[in-house]
Amino acid sequence: MATLHVLSHSPFTDSRLSSCLRILGSQDALLLCGDAVYALQDGSAQRQALELMPESIALYALDEDVQARGLVFPARLTLVDYPGFVALSCQYDKVNTWL
Amino acid sequence: MSKSLLVISRQAPWSGPGAREALDIALAGGAFDLPIGLLFLDDGVFQLSSAQQPATLQQKDLSANLQALPMFGVEALYVSQRSLAERGLQDQPSSLAVERLDDSSISALIDRYDQVITL
Amino acid sequence: MTTLNVEGRSLALDKDGYLLDLADWSEATAQALAQREGISLSAEHWEILWLVRSFYDEFQLSPANRPLIKFIAVKIGAEKGNSLNLNRLFNGAPAKLAAKLAGLPKPTNCL
Repeated sequence: MATLHVLSHSPFTDSRLSSCLRILGSQDALLLCGDAVYALQDGSAQRQALELMPESIALYALDEDVQARGLVFPARLTLVDYPGFVALSCQYDKVNTWL
Repeated sequence: MSKSLLVISRQAPWSGPGAREALDIALAGGAFDLPIGLLFLDDGVFQLSSAQQPATLQQKDLSANLQALPMFGVEALYVSQRSLAERGLQDQPSSLAVERLDDSSISALIDRYDQVITL
Repeated sequence: MTTLNVEGRSLALDKDGYLLDLADWSEATAQALAQREGISLSAEHWEILWLVRSFYDEFQLSPANRPLIKFIAVKIGAEKGNSLNLNRLFNGAPAKLAAKLAGLPKPTNCL
């Protein structure tokens, strides 16, 4: 039962990302959108935490949100568009949106 | 067979509508006989404090409402051990009978439910 | 606005016939509200109404059917706390009607 965790809040203003990383299952995946993509900011502790996740955890981000913010993303990140977002939502057993 | 739903409540009781909305989802699900679990995470653990005096802020008593969960058939109640410890609440009595879970148990808990909603 | 006359006072009701001000409730009010629903309150009704009020006191909300049944069963036994009995007493809509007659807000988790 793999879960796709969807985050959309900045990891610099609240604890969603850090809590999510702690309870992430080994087959789960993370999808960043909105201000949550700031977690990819080079040199930040959040970026480091993402890079240190086990390889089995897939990392996705919404392409337009990453491009808009001019972020340089890590090699393990897969960029997706909205159709890709929908496809991922169907691919995983469930989606946990951190509202 | 109805799908099971885990509600993750991670907002403090007085910060906005999040805590009440999470509780309302759990109560409504329970009223319709859905298998519901409720997990208190992050600031959500403050909802369990038994020393609250909601009348001070002229708000409805969320902690009284929480006590109704078992009556609504919602008895799978959990709290993050880590969230409690981070806030110095590990030794505080809880207003509700909740099972304390470490991070990996929470991960396993999420796995067991068909659907999850985090507020 | 709908009003209900009880012992010379005019009490405000919402569009569904629930008391607007919970403090307006009295036993006479319950009788008058019941009359509007075509119910004559018996000792059996009163037993449930007092229990619904104690549910509200304890949990600060009006029970939906399922918790109402469970609460009654816990307090006075399953012979009375079952849907058959409560449907019989409250025209098939125990949570809504018992809350109304007991002077409580309409239950929110009810269809």
